[in-house]
Amino acid sequence: MLRALCRCRHVLAGGPAPGHGHGPGPSPTLCPGWSPRVVPARGRKSRDDPPAKSKADRLKMPPPVDPEELLVVLERYRQHRLVLGALRAEFRAEVLQKKREERLSGENSVELLEEHRRLMAWNDEENARQRARREERLRKEAEEERRRKLEAQEQQARKMEAFLKEKEKEVLQLQEEAKSFITLENLDARIEECLDNPRNYNFAIDKNGRVVKRTMLS
Amino acid sequence: MGLGGGAAADAFPGAGASSVRVGRAGVMVQLGSRLLRGYRGGHVVIRFALGGCANRPFFRIVAAYNKRARDGKYLEQLGCLDPLPNAHGEKVAGLNLERLRYWLGSGAQLSRPAEKLLGLAGFLPLHPMTVTGAERLRRRRQREEQAGTAPAPAPGDTPGAEP
Repeated sequence: MLRALCRCRHVLAGGPAPGHGHGPGPSPTLCPGWSPRVVPARGRKSRDDPPAKSKADRLKMPPPVDPEELLVVLERYRQHRLVLGALRAEFRAEVLQKKREERLSGENSVELLEEHRRLMAWNDEENARQRARREERLRKEAEEERRRKLEAQEQQARKMEAFLKEKEKEVLQLQEEAKSFITLENLDARIEECLDNPRNYNFAIDKNGRVVKRTMLS
Repeated sequence: MGLGGGAAADAFPGAGASSVRVGRAGVMVQLGSRLLRGYRGGHVVIRFALGGCANRPFFRIVAAYNKRARDGKYLEQLGCLDPLPNAHGEKVAGLNLERLRYWLGSGAQLSRPAEKLLGLAGFLPLHPMTVTGAERLRRRRQREEQAGTAPAPAPGDTPGAEP
């Protein structure tokens, strides 16, 4: 509503009735938002529906305003706003005062501090307890770990030992067998020996390794 | 008008209990954080929230963020207004002046009908348009009265002259 009044004021201050050269519709000087293409947002039609033909000659003018009443009303508004501002300042001061008092109030502060300290102490106790439990658990786990590692190392050592023993045995075995190897020195002697003691290998063996005494042919 | 305080709606935790410093920058800037739901550049308004049924409106006077829906979540209920007159022809409203002072002190804005209501209640000065509206009504009634009495003597003469 006040916008209409301000519009009227501009009309009073500005020139005579604004020209309607731009066509039907309120003049842009009077209603800057109402260009010929702009349509209102309410109603059955949507934004881009064209206005009806019956409204082709319609000239929308803002409501008439009485300048004296306008001045009176503006003055009243000014005073009203002044009073409102003062009241708001008053209330603001009140609220701040109350907050300050709340902050500095002495009666409850002791109890609150007491409560706070008690709760903090309880919290610290809880923390200590949990820490003890946690440390216990961690210690046990560390011990477990160490024991397992030790066992693993022992296992490893034992395996290594067994392996080495096996290898040792094999080496000894080989050394034993090496005594009966044929070398360049023994070669002639062994050949003589073999030639002197002929052995008969003409026998068959069954699956169990026993010599077969009877065959089909015999 | 009844002064029964509107029952404070159950605001979400931290709403009214925590120290509220609300409002545009520069109005009241005190401590700390805003309320839980932070709006960018929003402010608190004291306005009417419509309730009731078809053909039976009922307004709650409510402090809410301006971005919220009209009937949506509010910060605190500060009163109520029944727009339909009762059996004695009165329109009854209830206001919680204590909390109103608090919210206004914390920088809440007022909507136009809320301002008018508070002006009529006497808590704030009368709104200019209330006065202007009353003046216009009075002038209109006077004009109608004069229009009613002026033609009455005129036809009153002629029937006297006729017979």
